[in-house]
Amino acid sequence: MKNARWALLLVLVLGLFAAACGDDDEEPTGGGAEPAAEVEEFPADTTMGRIQEAGEIKIGVKYDVPPFGFKNPQNNEIEGFDVDFGKAVADKLGVEPNYVEAISDNRIPFLADGTVDLVLSTMTINAERAQEIEFSEPYYIAQGRILVPQDSDITGVDSLGGTKVCTALGSTYEATLKEQAPEADLRLVDTYSECLELVQNGAVDAVSTDDVILTGMIIQDDTLKLTEGEPLSTEPYGGGIKKGDTEFKEFVDGVLEEYKSGGGWTEAYEKWVGQYTGEEQEPPTMTLEEAIEATS
Amino acid sequence: MNYVFNPDNWEWLVTGNNARFIFEGFLVNLEIAVIAMVLSLIAGLALALARLSLWKPLSVAAGTWVDVWRNLPLIFIILYLALSVPGSWRNAYEDTIPSWFPEGLQSGRVLAAILGLVLYNSAVLAEIMRAGIQSLDRGQNEAARALGMSYRQSMRMVVLPQGLRRMVPATVSQLITLNKDTTLVSIVAIQEVMRHGRIVTGANFFGGVQAPVLQVFLFVGLLFVLVNLALSRLSRRLEVRERKRTAVGTVKRVRGLEEQAV
Amino acid sequence: MGDVISVLTDNFDEFLAGFWVTVRLVVFAFAIAMVVGTLVAALRITPNKWLQRLGGVYVETFRNVPLLVLLFISFAGLRRAGVDIGPWTAGIASLGLYTAAYVAEALRSGVFSVSKGQIEAALSLGYTYGQALRRVVFPQAFRTVISPLGSLIIAMIKNSAIIGVSLLALDDLLKTARVVQSRTFETNETFFWAAAGYLLLTVSATFAIRSLEKRYAIHR
Repeated sequence: MKNARWALLLVLVLGLFAAACGDDDEEPTGGGAEPAAEVEEFPADTTMGRIQEAGEIKIGVKYDVPPFGFKNPQNNEIEGFDVDFGKAVADKLGVEPNYVEAISDNRIPFLADGTVDLVLSTMTINAERAQEIEFSEPYYIAQGRILVPQDSDITGVDSLGGTKVCTALGSTYEATLKEQAPEADLRLVDTYSECLELVQNGAVDAVSTDDVILTGMIIQDDTLKLTEGEPLSTEPYGGGIKKGDTEFKEFVDGVLEEYKSGGGWTEAYEKWVGQYTGEEQEPPTMTLEEAIEATS
Repeated sequence: MNYVFNPDNWEWLVTGNNARFIFEGFLVNLEIAVIAMVLSLIAGLALALARLSLWKPLSVAAGTWVDVWRNLPLIFIILYLALSVPGSWRNAYEDTIPSWFPEGLQSGRVLAAILGLVLYNSAVLAEIMRAGIQSLDRGQNEAARALGMSYRQSMRMVVLPQGLRRMVPATVSQLITLNKDTTLVSIVAIQEVMRHGRIVTGANFFGGVQAPVLQVFLFVGLLFVLVNLALSRLSRRLEVRERKRTAVGTVKRVRGLEEQAV
Repeated sequence: MGDVISVLTDNFDEFLAGFWVTVRLVVFAFAIAMVVGTLVAALRITPNKWLQRLGGVYVETFRNVPLLVLLFISFAGLRRAGVDIGPWTAGIASLGLYTAAYVAEALRSGVFSVSKGQIEAALSLGYTYGQALRRVVFPQAFRTVISPLGSLIIAMIKNSAIIGVSLLALDDLLKTARVVQSRTFETNETFFWAAAGYLLLTVSATFAIRSLEKRYAIHR
């Protein structure tokens, strides 16, 4: 009897000690650009003004999708490509970014109810979502691909029939896969980290989602690979903004333009994607209308 | 079997920030459990009293409320609230929560989680308390009334104190269940021990050591077992003390069939 | 509000399939819980100290571990260790083994509720210990445990929802509601029907238990 209680005491003390006596940080900012030397003040009745008043901008990002948005357990920081772009937006407003985890399921409701001001969580632009929210211009063009173990027989979307394919609940791939691989057995989960777990332990045969998310998985486990063949889809990523807030959308678009032309985009790309894939990419030139066209 | 005990597979526990990261997550679970328990006890008592009210409409309404929430899966309640709690409430939560509160509880999503836990557990506790109060010998209430106490006085000074004391073991048992249920909040993206455990298993991206899923979650399970075991031992101690005080029931010894408090 | 009906009718097949998945999970897990629970209860009441301890360890472990952790261990953990266990097996086994700890305790207290005199009388009539258990104690104990076991079934119905949200990715009732919701954005309607489904199960179970109780139970 006594042993159990001592063990509990030890566990609790250790835990409390560790948790309390350490980096008492709020979500710190991601690495990236220097704060702007000059910050434009915005009128109080605009979203920008409201954010400046609040002193922080709430940005919804993924916490488990390297290299775009993830929480690094070694230092408790939120990092990634999306995170860096979010920092750029925050810097332009002269405020600190406050990152909130936004999973595929709840990111749109979070905009509608004000939990976040901006969503940068690998969100693909499409017509349906464009009805619920405003999108910024595309800030990254990903492609839908398929991830399999190295020794898999699956070569592309045509050979998915009868296999178990994992993707996230609420993502665009649910519909895409039903269309392109109707014979496949779709397994839907909450987060892509669960898909990774399932393909690693063999419970599913393949994972399908944006190539950057898949690349993040390959970085974590190099016994996985992408199949050759045509991409399933083009996935232009857009920042999510509350419906009707065209002012803020234009502001974000402005930041994006500067980010692309000023070299911030290329830097972030190299840091988060390029160094792992060995590829190079130009900043996207697709417009929002083209993006919606491409995904319908 | 080798896989389970192979020391390589446990290396992650002592390298880097992993163990502490998991503890931090576990702390969030415990904090949520405590807050939810306190709120559930208050709400549960109110519901139980409403159930026992002499005014029929109130007791029927309370009864229906309790029966509905008690019979729904807790994860269902939490998921539904996570999707439908208005942002204004969430913002209000974030504004009112003091900054000295732990970081894991700062986010507005925790409101949905705690609300769900409280709605469910207060209903369960209401039933436990009602059973406790009603299990009290009717003579107690009758004697109190005979002494000239009103219904409310009798409740407050005679019935409730005794009835609620009887319910301590069942209540602690519910606290243990609540402790376990806090893992469900991971589904609504709250950064607690399950999420942290999952992040640790993917940690070799960050230059850490490969942390196998089996070992990480065996460790997480162990944390829960330790805390909950301690709670149940505490409950048994309280029970024994209670019985010694009120001299209810005797201890039997039959070979092979241990004494059991029913 | 006409949406409410159309959400069900448009997606009826899916909802029904999800409902049946839940039912199957509960039924199979209950079977496992009863078998394993009886075994563990037997362990707990034998005179052998070590067997008692073994039973005790089982109960304390499975009662204090969260079901979600168990699901991770049994599915992800075991698969990584090389065991080719499927989501159904992992789900049913986890829920079953978890509930078995509670079944064991319920059975054990049922056995104790049988008065000591019964055992002594049986033994003095020449029954062996084992026979006394089987023919005298257990049948009476069974009738006392109908109610607690009934509550466990209801708890299982609710706990089965956890399987669907875990990475086992089984399409039970709650999961189906979430899938339909993510497609149609009709949150209130989809969750309403899921709630209706769960209440249907728990309320029916409650009624079934109560009628069984009336027929068989001993009130002590």
